[in-house]
Amino acid sequence: MLLLLLSTLLAEDSIETAATRILEKNCLQCHGAQSKMGGLILESREAALKGGVGGPALVPGNAAQSLLARKVNEGKMPVGTPLPAADRQLIARWIDQGAPWTNKLAVAERKRAGKDWWSLQPLKPPPNASIDSVLNAALTAKGLRMSAEADRRTLIRRATFDLTGLPPTPEAVAAFVADPASNAYEKLIDELLASPGYGERWGRHWMDVIRFGESHGYEQNHLRPNAWHFRDYIIRSFNDGKPFDRFLQEHLAADVLSADPKEAVGTGFLVAGPHDTVGNAAEAPKRQQRADDLDDMINATASAFLGLTVSCARCHDHKFDPILQADYYRMAAIFGGVIHAERELATPAGLAAHRARTAPLETEIREITEKLAAARETAKPRVESRREAILAQYRAAPESRLTEESWPAAPARFVRLRIQATSTGGATSLEEFEVWSGGRNVALASDGARITATSVRKEDGSTDPYSEKHLIDGRFDQRWIPADSKPVTLTVELPRAIEVTRAAWSRDRAGGFQGRFSGPIPSEYIVEISLDGSAWRQVASSEGRLPVTDAQREELVLMAVFSEREKQTYREAQQRLAAARRALNELPKLTMAYAGKFEQPTEPVYLLKRGNVMDRGDVAAAASLTTLDRVLPAFDVPANEPESKRRLALAQWITDPKNPLTPRVLANRVWHYHFGRGIVGTPSDFGFSGERPSHPELLDHLAARLLAHGWRLKPLHKEIMLSKAYRQSSANNEAAAKADGEARLLWRFPPQRLEAEAIRDTILAVSGTLDRTMGGPGFHLFRYTVDNVATYYPLETFGPETYRRAVYQQAARSVRSEMLGQYDCPDSSLPEPKRVVTTSPLQALALLNNSFLLDQSAFFAGRLEREAGDPVRRAFQLAFSRDPEPAEQTAARNLIARHGLKAFARAILNANELIYVQ
Amino acid sequence: MSSRRTFLGDIAMGLPAIALHQLTAATRAPHFPAKAKRVLQIMCPGACSHIDTFDYKPELEKRHGQPMPGAEKEVSFQGANGNLMRSPWPFVPRGQSGKRITAMLPHLGALADEMAFLHAMTTRTNTHGPGCVMMNTGYVFEGFPSAGAWVSYALGSENDNLPAYVSIPDIRGIPPAGPANWTAGFLPAEHQGVSFNASEPIRNLERPGLISEAEERATLEFLDVLNRGHMARHPGHSDLQARIAAYALAGRMQLSAPEVSDLTRESKATHELYGTADSNPLKAAYAKNCLLARRLLERNVRYVQLYCASRASGVDGLLNWDAHKTLQADYERHCPILDQPTAGLLKDLKSRGMLSDTLVIWTTEFGRMPTHQEGTLGRDHNPDAFTVWMAGAGVKGGTSHGGTDDFGRRAVEDITTVHAFWATVLHLIGLDYNKLSWYHNGIDRRLTDVHGHVIREILA
Repeated sequence: MLLLLLSTLLAEDSIETAATRILEKNCLQCHGAQSKMGGLILESREAALKGGVGGPALVPGNAAQSLLARKVNEGKMPVGTPLPAADRQLIARWIDQGAPWTNKLAVAERKRAGKDWWSLQPLKPPPNASIDSVLNAALTAKGLRMSAEADRRTLIRRATFDLTGLPPTPEAVAAFVADPASNAYEKLIDELLASPGYGERWGRHWMDVIRFGESHGYEQNHLRPNAWHFRDYIIRSFNDGKPFDRFLQEHLAADVLSADPKEAVGTGFLVAGPHDTVGNAAEAPKRQQRADDLDDMINATASAFLGLTVSCARCHDHKFDPILQADYYRMAAIFGGVIHAERELATPAGLAAHRARTAPLETEIREITEKLAAARETAKPRVESRREAILAQYRAAPESRLTEESWPAAPARFVRLRIQATSTGGATSLEEFEVWSGGRNVALASDGARITATSVRKEDGSTDPYSEKHLIDGRFDQRWIPADSKPVTLTVELPRAIEVTRAAWSRDRAGGFQGRFSGPIPSEYIVEISLDGSAWRQVASSEGRLPVTDAQREELVLMAVFSEREKQTYREAQQRLAAARRALNELPKLTMAYAGKFEQPTEPVYLLKRGNVMDRGDVAAAASLTTLDRVLPAFDVPANEPESKRRLALAQWITDPKNPLTPRVLANRVWHYHFGRGIVGTPSDFGFSGERPSHPELLDHLAARLLAHGWRLKPLHKEIMLSKAYRQSSANNEAAAKADGEARLLWRFPPQRLEAEAIRDTILAVSGTLDRTMGGPGFHLFRYTVDNVATYYPLETFGPETYRRAVYQQAARSVRSEMLGQYDCPDSSLPEPKRVVTTSPLQALALLNNSFLLDQSAFFAGRLEREAGDPVRRAFQLAFSRDPEPAEQTAARNLIARHGLKAFARAILNANELIYVQ
Repeated sequence: MSSRRTFLGDIAMGLPAIALHQLTAATRAPHFPAKAKRVLQIMCPGACSHIDTFDYKPELEKRHGQPMPGAEKEVSFQGANGNLMRSPWPFVPRGQSGKRITAMLPHLGALADEMAFLHAMTTRTNTHGPGCVMMNTGYVFEGFPSAGAWVSYALGSENDNLPAYVSIPDIRGIPPAGPANWTAGFLPAEHQGVSFNASEPIRNLERPGLISEAEERATLEFLDVLNRGHMARHPGHSDLQARIAAYALAGRMQLSAPEVSDLTRESKATHELYGTADSNPLKAAYAKNCLLARRLLERNVRYVQLYCASRASGVDGLLNWDAHKTLQADYERHCPILDQPTAGLLKDLKSRGMLSDTLVIWTTEFGRMPTHQEGTLGRDHNPDAFTVWMAGAGVKGGTSHGGTDDFGRRAVEDITTVHAFWATVLHLIGLDYNKLSWYHNGIDRRLTDVHGHVIREILA
């Protein structure tokens, strides 16, 4: 009986059940009462009939007219995962049959966040709580407790690495260990927070979070020579203890918040990411490039400040968080006036002084230019009537396809072309240089001819693509490019002396440019021959040839029609113009920084359907995200207001004390870098896909403390570092490890490996070569060449200019210096809120064999020799902040006796103890 | 080969096996059984023209010199386009399948029956850097893991002494966007492609010349004393063991990598098959890289990425397949470099029985326009149609899937995307492209983004 019933049910699943089950399964995550995307709820027939912003979803009896069936059929719903054809047909049939629907549907299991998501709620700091009280409560609940306090040596090493990224000096360790004051540790933290190393260390953390890089990325990836101003601004702001709300506001709108260049550079944040500098003639890719720029700014802002993955809403409403596609484009509109570029940085007074210097010259340039134009205008009738006759007196202009010079036959062993000027001033390039004897080109390498000329060397393995050898290879495919655009001579040595009558050269013999080549070709030149290579005779020159460009020809005609007096006046004016331009060029420049430029957008930002730049929807208004509209006043900025108001409004909205995300996200980052792991393990994602907080009350406690400290980080660091949780030992405890292996509940201080930069800085500090110069242009760990695109060659040897802290390395995007890259230093292509930590054989090879490490071993050995006392003891104190154990002492002595201090130093710099912080 | 480079290897003695295991990313099981155990990717940067190599377009020959119907003066990457331009070389029928392939690639043409062509490929950008990165990572933006890194992450290594993923750049230089093409992106750094070729060894591999064997041994023994003492004082911290093991592995790599790069161990016949002694130094260099690729695959390196050509230069089409101005001269330079060595590699794999468990994929950024670029005798970029092919394990040879319009301007029939391409590659090595993911900044990221499907028509 039961069996029968069951089989009947299975067989006779009504169309109502089947259809509503499809809705429940596929639609309710977004169209439940909670999320109601587009205002539409699909929990009941009534709600579906009522519909959302697009009108009723259901027209019972008419699938064709039902929005629901239409969207499903077009594959537009559910977003990204269209229903199978069978389900689509079933829905249509069900609607055509009147859409019977009795039971209310419910979301079975939560698969996305709504506006009630935990991180979007106002802060609820527990009353009278402390860091330790919250942590202890959670530990006690699991039957665990914190470890005892770490010893002082461990504490000073931990705290110094943590706050400065450098090891403590042996003297600092000794003083701290011996300090009898009850607040010795507190004094230590104060000192470290006040040291300049703090900003270098924590500024570097922030650069990870905001994808700061010093090259453009993409294909060309040229360096940004003036991006370092923003790096210095970050370090300065951290060291100055600048309130973080102000800091973030400056990131978005410093250009209008401050006239002080030291602050105004803060907008460098907006353009700190990659930017495609390859031009594009086609419309769609051009729009795509701009859309990608905006996407980078949106992603950087939302992820770094708010912990929101707004970028996921570029093509459709966010699948997991309450972020609408419209929200994404509201943010896009906010950045609509931001341009990737350098900007002048100057105080108002500096700017005025600069303008005062430039204005007279600019006026002069304008006046002379007008005068010259007037003189040309006066001569115009004469020019028009005599142009043809004048030009006819000259020989044909040099041509890119072929330029030839002939002379009466004369014997020569050497023939040379001295190029004195090119048609457009730049370096010329030639495919072939021929010397004719009778009916035969005798300048061929295959016949034994030899060529001498300086050529630009492109470092592409051994290929040397622009070599002078192409000049006499008898082919017209590859070209010679001289080393620079200065006058250059190419010399052919023939296999033997022979009568020669003609030379010919070309840039586009194959005619690929179909006569429209407009690049530089030789325009002023001399052809000379010689029998011995030392006595030369001129046989031809460009004398009497027409100039190559139209402008040059016009000037030729002009000079011919001018009277002597006119000519003299015109020439003088030209000279004065050149002098004025030179003078303008030689004036001291204003400081330029890669901090973005701002322009009132001439075109609105559109919502792009499915993210497609060619499928524009409505115009997007600059406005706040609806995500937080329950807890925070919204804003929108009319399009006719200055664009800076949009950014300013966003900056204020992000740092509004009522915004629960900004302080939570920031407090969590601080915790993350102190303990190696955030309370939320996904520091830039506080949404549904991110991790839930391990200690929600602690997070809110810290966020509230941050606000109470006026958004200043240093007091927050101090509170955290003075906690028992931070000061406890990192020693293992097997019972606790069984209950909580990762120590997420913090029954011990989690040991950590230093980051790439800190490893490098520590090696330099220990060897005694670390250069503590702060700020200014960065050093390079690569050799940089540009041939259209940039190429970065890793350095083989490292000079003292590279001995600065790694934060001052000019880090090019996608280029990881081997040592830093092997140790997981990100390449700044994407924001990196949480570095991975890997261990690999390539790391070992880099630290054992790279010349950097070998040099530092030698310096370290030298230091040990120089400094007084037992070198082994000194080395251990410098590197490990402790004395050697007897067994270590013996082993070290043996090694040093047989192979010297350098071998010992190399081992110390490779030791685990150097880079693992307990 | 002396045993001097094994000192590092000695360190591993007495370490718990687990430590080494952690590091070598030892073999992990695929999602389902598959024929392919390893992948060879050949990449021709610069955008290799499909209509001058593998996509035969008779209409293009017929209408040479006429405007392209409905697309006069169309504007693409570098600007306006002129009239239709036929390929400078004939297409000739090859193999049992009679597939028409350009006469410029005679050696590869002979292998037409091994290949499955995808003629209706499309991509998302018309610029080289993003195009190259898109082909290799599934994203136009830099910073995402390359396919080889995904495969290394998913399947690990079958050779403890060599990296799981090797990228072999061309002697002419690195490809557009450089290391972004073999990066591990946000995956752990151990999965990034280790970059070296037949002329440039792995960096930092060799013990520095100034350090004697005895000094090296004594230094490492002392380092071992330090590390073991430290580890004993800090129990319960497995990272410490892992780093000791990493030094041991480095020692093994010091032995294995020079051995794999030593091409003198190959027979004369093999060298001739690849053309390693060719008078064209670029072809000889690529041939040596092809031979290196086979030696790596033979030693079970999981993923080998092999470049034929490099980044852009000041002259379009000089260093890579980017023939904007002088297509004929450019491809008469590039095709012979690619042809014999690549064909030699395929034949060698086949004769050694390795083609049955090695998947070979040939890729490029995008295609080129059927028209000539206005004012030149070259072709501009075309992201709307290009050809790639696969051969080897699990692939149905002699097939062609998808098609372009009469001129090769657009993919029109059975259009495939870069994501579908990778979904298929992953499928062939036993991975479900939907399951292979890594959480980063709010999303479970995949090689195939949120797209893709397996192109079953070309599966054997």
